[in-house]
Amino acid sequence: MVRWQNMKKTMKKLIESVIVFAGVIAILMSCNGNADTVKNTGPQRDTVIIKLMAFNPDTLSVNVGDTIVWINQDIVAHDISHFPDRAWHSDTLNPKDVFVKVIDDSSSYFCSIHPTMRGLVTLKK
Amino acid sequence: MKKVMGLTAALGVVMFIMAGCNSGSEKEEAKTETATTTEATAPEQAAPALNDAQIASIAVTANQIDVDYGKIALEKSQNPEIRKFAETMIKDHSDIINQATALATKLNVTPEDNSTTQDLLKGQKDMNEKFAGLTGDAFDKAYAQNEAAYHDAVVNAVKTVLIPNTQNAELKSLIESVVPLLDHHLQMAKDLAAKFQ
Ligand SMILES: [Cu+2]
Repeated sequence: MVRWQNMKKTMKKLIESVIVFAGVIAILMSCNGNADTVKNTGPQRDTVIIKLMAFNPDTLSVNVGDTIVWINQDIVAHDISHFPDRAWHSDTLNPKDVFVKVIDDSSSYFCSIHPTMRGLVTLKK
Repeated sequence: MKKVMGLTAALGVVMFIMAGCNSGSEKEEAKTETATTTEATAPEQAAPALNDAQIASIAVTANQIDVDYGKIALEKSQNPEIRKFAETMIKDHSDIINQATALATKLNVTPEDNSTTQDLLKGQKDMNEKFAGLTGDAFDKAYAQNEAAYHDAVVNAVKTVLIPNTQNAELKSLIESVVPLLDHHLQMAKDLAAKFQ
């Protein structure tokens, strides 16, 4: 009886460890979004840096469901707006602000505050 | 108790990993970009050199003047394009002033009045008097033309006087990073002024 209970305890611990381990692996895989070496394992995450009045990179090719993160590292505020009608757009991003969008379609975008700033999201075939 | 500690430790590891991957992706593409060459320095170096405290004063004043022009435009103009442009000038130049004053504070630099700052203020006074006598399209045209001329003059001064004379690397880098913005403002102002020919 005692033995059975000990075994139950051990099993429970083992299961707990496996769950935690699986969680860690899942997180590690999900944050590897930018590594080219990783084969397509679900939604990816790309970053666009806004600096010196430009989007870097200004063109990204992604899959539907991927996430793009825009980070304003410039000295003034910008926004991310669908070109030309602002069908979707971020709030005004002050320096250091971040905008995150899950991509559902290809889109040309611009900064509505500084309309010469342009970027492009295309879909991978 | 042991179980709670085990879970806490596991949670700690998870958060650590998540923090690690966030900062990783943000740093990834942050390339340092050095701007503009400094070829046109020779003539200016013969003139009395400006120190960083004076350059800080010139930078803050030049930006503040354009904020003030923008505020006048919002008071006087009903033209939506003029108003949108003025709002952008107010926001952008205020952002630059905030960055410049924060950096000056950090570097322990107190902006120091000088003849260039005084010249800028004199120019502002004259322009304000001109603006005061204008309304409607005449004001809009004068504002747009002045914005083009003013940004042209400031871009030129930044490239040929301020950047070559700035000693502190962080201050120099901040002033350099303003150039693409001023170029953009100049282009927008020229396009705007062209609509009032
Ligand atoms: Cu912008």
